[in-house]
Amino acid sequence: MTQNELEKIEISTQPKRTNPLANVFDDLVRFCRSRSMFMLHYCTGCGAIELPPAMTSRFDMERLGIQPMVTPRQADILLITGYVSIKTLKRVILTYEQMGSPKYVIGICSCTVNGGMYWQSYATAKKLDEYLPVDLYIAGCMPRPEAVMEGMQQLMQKIKTGEADSWKKYYSHYDYYLGNQQQLFGNNWQTPTDIIGEAESYQLMGPQTLGEHTKILQQVQKPLEPLEMKL
Amino acid sequence: MNETLLTILEVIFMPVVAFVIGLFMVLMMRKLAARLQRRVGPPLMQPFYDVIKLYGKQTQISHGLIHDIGIIMAVGGYVAAESLLPVPGMDGIADKGGIVMLAYLTMIPSLGLALGVGQCANPNGSIGISRALTSMLAYDIPYIIVIFGVAYHFGSTNLIDIIDTQQAGGVATWGISEMPVLAIAGLFALHASLGKQPFEIYIAPAEIATGPMVEMGGKYLGGLFVMQSFQLYTASVLYVSLFLGGGENWITFLLKCFAVLAIPIIIAYLFPRYRTEDLVRLVWKWPVMLALIGVAFVMT
Amino acid sequence: MNFLDGLLILSLLSVIVTGFAQKLRSAGWLSSVLLGLQCLLLMGMAGLAYGSPAVSSSFSVSVLGQPLHWQFNALSWFFALITLASALASSVYAAGAWGEDYRLQGGNPGLLQFALNLNVFAMLLLLASGDLLSLFVGWELVSWASLLMMVLAGGAAGRFGLRYIVYATAGAMAVMTGLVMIFQLTGSFQFADFAAIAPSLSNAQVVTFTLLFVFGFGVKMGLLPFHLWQADAYAETPGPGAAFLGAISSRMGLFAMLILVIQLIGLGRLINIEVPYSFFSLRDVLMWVAAFTIIFPTFTAMRQNDARLLLAWHGIGQGGYMLMGLLMVNPLGSAGGLMHVFNYASYQAVLFLVVTAVIYRTRTADLNQLGGLVTRMPLSFLMMLICIIGLAGIPPMNGFVSKWLIYRSLIVEGMPLLFVASVVGTLGTILSVYKLIHNTFLGQLRLEHEQIREVPWSMMIPMLILSAVVFITGFLPGIVLDWVASAQAALGIPVLEHTLGGVESPSGNLDMIWICSVLFGGFAVGALVFYSGNKSRRVHQLDNYAGGHFLTADDRYHYSNNFYAGLMHHIGHWYRGTFQWLESSLGSAISLLSAATQMLFNSFHPALFLLLAATLSLLFFAG
Repeated sequence: MTQNELEKIEISTQPKRTNPLANVFDDLVRFCRSRSMFMLHYCTGCGAIELPPAMTSRFDMERLGIQPMVTPRQADILLITGYVSIKTLKRVILTYEQMGSPKYVIGICSCTVNGGMYWQSYATAKKLDEYLPVDLYIAGCMPRPEAVMEGMQQLMQKIKTGEADSWKKYYSHYDYYLGNQQQLFGNNWQTPTDIIGEAESYQLMGPQTLGEHTKILQQVQKPLEPLEMKL
Repeated sequence: MNETLLTILEVIFMPVVAFVIGLFMVLMMRKLAARLQRRVGPPLMQPFYDVIKLYGKQTQISHGLIHDIGIIMAVGGYVAAESLLPVPGMDGIADKGGIVMLAYLTMIPSLGLALGVGQCANPNGSIGISRALTSMLAYDIPYIIVIFGVAYHFGSTNLIDIIDTQQAGGVATWGISEMPVLAIAGLFALHASLGKQPFEIYIAPAEIATGPMVEMGGKYLGGLFVMQSFQLYTASVLYVSLFLGGGENWITFLLKCFAVLAIPIIIAYLFPRYRTEDLVRLVWKWPVMLALIGVAFVMT
Repeated sequence: MNFLDGLLILSLLSVIVTGFAQKLRSAGWLSSVLLGLQCLLLMGMAGLAYGSPAVSSSFSVSVLGQPLHWQFNALSWFFALITLASALASSVYAAGAWGEDYRLQGGNPGLLQFALNLNVFAMLLLLASGDLLSLFVGWELVSWASLLMMVLAGGAAGRFGLRYIVYATAGAMAVMTGLVMIFQLTGSFQFADFAAIAPSLSNAQVVTFTLLFVFGFGVKMGLLPFHLWQADAYAETPGPGAAFLGAISSRMGLFAMLILVIQLIGLGRLINIEVPYSFFSLRDVLMWVAAFTIIFPTFTAMRQNDARLLLAWHGIGQGGYMLMGLLMVNPLGSAGGLMHVFNYASYQAVLFLVVTAVIYRTRTADLNQLGGLVTRMPLSFLMMLICIIGLAGIPPMNGFVSKWLIYRSLIVEGMPLLFVASVVGTLGTILSVYKLIHNTFLGQLRLEHEQIREVPWSMMIPMLILSAVVFITGFLPGIVLDWVASAQAALGIPVLEHTLGGVESPSGNLDMIWICSVLFGGFAVGALVFYSGNKSRRVHQLDNYAGGHFLTADDRYHYSNNFYAGLMHHIGHWYRGTFQWLESSLGSAISLLSAATQMLFNSFHPALFLLLAATLSLLFFAG
């Protein structure tokens, strides 16, 4: 499957519930999600330098309810701010998988879009969205804080309307992403998070969650069952 | 029978009030921090957004049953503790326990959190708990001396009696005018117990990745947010009850509570963080010394 | 023949039977049944705890014209209940799977059961003592019986047992000196005779008696500075034995001290004796001894890396609370002290048993070699949790109630520094028990412990029942306070007014029924809020934040060693081992003295000494 095909796929958005009260509740939760975004800035490259002004007194992201967090478990947004080397990418994927859904990825700087000035580097991942579903790119080398804020607001809009659900794509098309990851890291590639298991338990399995690549994974995978309490 | 029913209603209602006030205290804290850093700060309902969003997360990650129970204990312990804190018009079960009881009951949420974090199997969290317990060992000593002094002064450990005595005599009989040294020591201990800078050793985001919160996401983190708002509420209401005559009515009560909390918060955001041993040294030296002097004044 | 006769005779019989049945495979169950029967007989005397008059045994012995007789009052009953209950729990625990395992390890579970019964018999005899002579006989029996328990496993335990017996002998000497002095004053060993002349004793005599008895019995209790023998000796005793010794054995010292110092001499005398050049009365000095007994051992416990040692050190520390409470004139304080004996025994026994259960499965009690066992031994975890909450004195467990009573009386009597000392002890306890539960049950599960299972029911049931006691007597402290109040009456000190839920007094109430109900209501609300969120999914322990590092099973991702590193940066250098140094220098001084004497003896002709000694003694007797 190519990138273009993937983009065409519509993620089945949750159908509107019939109960009007439940709809109000869903709207409320979506609204709160949009107004309270905890971000994990994975400062891989030069773009990180644009974030401090966006967070501090000049632009003050906290007005929009955005605040920095420390570990992936706590965060909603993963900010990738610059080029992603192969070695870094492994950590980015690990981090992304540890975040709780709904989670959003923002690629900042041109490097995340197409490799930017590292296009010719053998050690850099060119397109971030081959490995992770990216919700929003903020292009530029580097984008100014105003652009970052603008991007954040766009993401807020998308969350509020319920469009920003590309995290579901990671579950429903895991095979595609895993395939690209395996291409880079080899067939022994495995993260500690059991994505297939998660997809099953949250009913997020799609037609392409499983495929040839997940088969390879399941062959080499070290078991990841949680430690059950035994009496 | 009727009285029992009324008490039960109060016990149900008091934590709700505490939660709402506590969320606004969190808001005040963030607003003050923002103002001190010349920012605008979060909107009015930000703490609500945060809590609702966290509970509404679709995937929740648990490290086991004790992880879950820890959060339940952390929230539930404070829910119970709030009914021991008299507020205007509601006494709850304050006459069944008293301040010593309250001091120990508020350890239950911390214990719950400690257990939950322990199950996460993350050394950052364990280090955080070891530091949190160390800082508890540090600030509880002046805190307990202050409680002793106040209880001895009013001749009771019952918070209702303590508040009534102060309200009957007016400002001149408030704890703060009768025992100013103890009041200062108490404020110091309160500041340390909030776990804000410079006593923020167990969160220490840049050092141990927020310590106890390291593996907490979704409703787990939401539970901790709730716990924090309860914690702010409990600390300030207890201080107001001991030293500022409690609340005659809701307006003065809230004013006092927010004012008491504002002092340590304003100080907090002007400071970086101490190291653990420096914190222990500092807290065992100044507030303990002040509290002992205060108790000596009270007892002579 | 009354219940007391029956109890003492049955107890003696049990010693004989278990002594002969050691090799039997079912010796353990036999001993449990015998102990259970003794419990029933004790229950027959339950009226004692609710105001019945004391029961005297119908037999008595006469030694050198001095009658020895035995009797039971509410105080004896209270202590006997704790003794028999903890013995029964330990016996059942040792009778089942643990005993089998112990046999396979090369131990002799029958001998352990025999030692248990012997200890129980000795203790019952001590508790039933009706005069000073029978008290002393009981005391000596208790000392030697617990030595048997300590050394039966051999090895390191034997060495520590010997250390214990040196202390115990010194203590017994002091007690005997005191008793002889009393005999010279009164001409009899009856309690009543001594009590009659106690008010007319001079201050110097009171001080002498108090110091002799506090030293003599304090050694057993592990009062500072005579505590060094205890932790090692208890920790090395085989599990159920350690649980029994840890729960009750040391409290015999407290019992004897109660009789002699508080009942017979009376606190009033101690308060009136001023220590020269200070504000302190003799009572205050003893209270400070109790306070230091709380603090130092507790903070020593915090540094231990062996779970058994950690618990044993806490045992010493908790003894300080009991003594501190009982030295208070206030009925709140003495009730707290007495209740703490019960409470402490209930959770300490379980804690030792849980640690033994962990050793049974993992073969180690090293806190740096464990971790994450909660998923494999969840019930044991629960037992330990309940009991550490008790030990730390946090509501809703029973340990809180007794400590609350002690704090409350310290506030009422206006003793800020002692109050702070007791709270510091509690805080130290919280720190070290969290270390205990974290390092054994929480954190990362080690690879070699993946296949561990929960311990069998024969081990689990005693723990379950005892920890139920910890919780129930915390929820309804009035049950124990009834017994405590009767014991107070038997001691002749002011009796605590109490309710089923705690204490009602004009200066502050305690109602554990309300508090516990609200607390559990709070937990219910917490659970409701928690489970209203989306369902959570369990993840593997290696799916964990490590700053982007890929964790594997080979990584030890667990924090256990030097658990309170920051605190130790500050207070670490305060641990100087002063008491160790004191003990060893005393030891060297004695060995130097004995070497010198030996040299003197060897350098002259030994026969000359013999002649000299014979002449002198002849002169003495003739003259």
